[in-house]
Amino acid sequence: MDAATVALRGVSTIYEGERVPALREISCSIDDRSLVGIVGPNGAGKTTLLEVINGLVRASVGEVAVLGAPVSSTSHRLRREIAYLPQDLFFEATTPFLARDVVLMGCFGRMGVFRFPRRADRDAARDAMTAVGIDALAARPIGRLSGGQQRKVLLARVLARRPRVLLLDEPTTNLDPESKEEVSQLVLRIHGRLGLTTLVVSHEAGLLIDAVERVLTLVRGRLVSDRPQQAASRGATGVATEERL
Amino acid sequence: MIVIPLHILLPTLFGSILAGVLCSTMGVFVVRLKLAPLGFAMSHAAFAGAALGLAVPVLDPLWMALVFAVVMAFLLGPLADVSRLNMDAVVGAFFPLMMALGLIFLSLAPSSGIGRGALSLLWGSVLGITFSDVIKLAGLAAFLVVLLIALGKGFLAILLDRRLAIASGINARLHHHAILFLTAITVALALQITGGLLVYALMILPASAAFQLVYDIKKIFLLAPALGALAAILGLLLSLGADLPIGSSITVAAAGVFLLAVILSPKRLRRRLREIA
Repeated sequence: MDAATVALRGVSTIYEGERVPALREISCSIDDRSLVGIVGPNGAGKTTLLEVINGLVRASVGEVAVLGAPVSSTSHRLRREIAYLPQDLFFEATTPFLARDVVLMGCFGRMGVFRFPRRADRDAARDAMTAVGIDALAARPIGRLSGGQQRKVLLARVLARRPRVLLLDEPTTNLDPESKEEVSQLVLRIHGRLGLTTLVVSHEAGLLIDAVERVLTLVRGRLVSDRPQQAASRGATGVATEERL
Repeated sequence: MIVIPLHILLPTLFGSILAGVLCSTMGVFVVRLKLAPLGFAMSHAAFAGAALGLAVPVLDPLWMALVFAVVMAFLLGPLADVSRLNMDAVVGAFFPLMMALGLIFLSLAPSSGIGRGALSLLWGSVLGITFSDVIKLAGLAAFLVVLLIALGKGFLAILLDRRLAIASGINARLHHHAILFLTAITVALALQITGGLLVYALMILPASAAFQLVYDIKKIFLLAPALGALAAILGLLLSLGADLPIGSSITVAAAGVFLLAVILSPKRLRRRLREIA
């Protein structure tokens, strides 16, 4: 495998009980510190691609490597370097965790057994909340926050965690227009501040997908195009049109 | 009111409190991770194991309860994973089997084993607790504390969201199986106090009460054992005062604690105040 931050070679994935592969022969390399968009219609395999990259879904065929190491379902140590925000992750009202604890838990992966969060960890969590502008929410239960606020808490968690790769699955879906804008700007700020390699899945146009450097377009599990953003914008619109149809 | 000598009362009191603390601590996991059916199956497996211990005189009922509960814990989790069935369905298959096995073993027990022994398995026999039993429970409590400290961060991550925990590099399978293992041991050791049919109540009710009262998981982990101990003490007093079976008394006390928590829940009070406003 090459030395790219994320590298896939001939990756195909089929879910148990399915006849049609979710991903078919995907090969691509993502360079360090790049911001890449993944677009495509519903069911194109965008989420599966992200979950193959962090090992939540196994590649049936082919090789996946992140930071030079092969990815598997037991790559717990490697996964600490990869932050992943799933699309449908919203906390129910009864979730018994405060926002500040959710952010602090971002540091847990790097701590050893028998080690409690230290002052430096708490400071990192507090700084992350300040950077994201959610200090006032620190003592609020996560489940009592709005969808946009929950996303911000999870982004502060990413900031506190300091991963090297960030995978975002539809980070602005189901948010109101104002929150979409705020969350998009936050993602861009975190990407720049931490020097991350960021992959963003989106099926809707917006600030975030406009800002990416490169767009991968998936259709029915195949990578049908891999182009710089400007060249891809027409293609992305085409995909959106296809989805509406 | 029954007057009990101090050498019997003290182990009874300490045993009840420890059982309350242990069961309700594990209850936090059981309630939050929606493992209640599993706890139910484990308690019946422990009952079946203890019944086997009564049926076969060379076997120790407590150890057999422990073995059955642990085997059930390790069987159900992987079985649900492998069969990709809902945990409820897997539990639904095993729960009646364990109950049936327990009753078969009791029917095979020598006549001396039936009666008081069987009843204590079903409903508990707290006055039969010795200091040796209390030491076993204290040992389990110490083991639980060590594991909670060692794996606490992973446990918290799973309690927040299992998928997010896995994505963060937490070995969710290891932590989940550790929770099942600890639950099984707790069920087996508490069996003697509350009985196989009611140990489950001491696990669920105080923890559920704590979830009614606070939003912060750290406070829940402090409050649930406190409420478990309170339920155990109140149950013991009720049992001694009214000459009632101990397991049932503790369950009634735990249910009372839960009911009070529901009524006094600040979460509901706040919602009601908002509605009025």
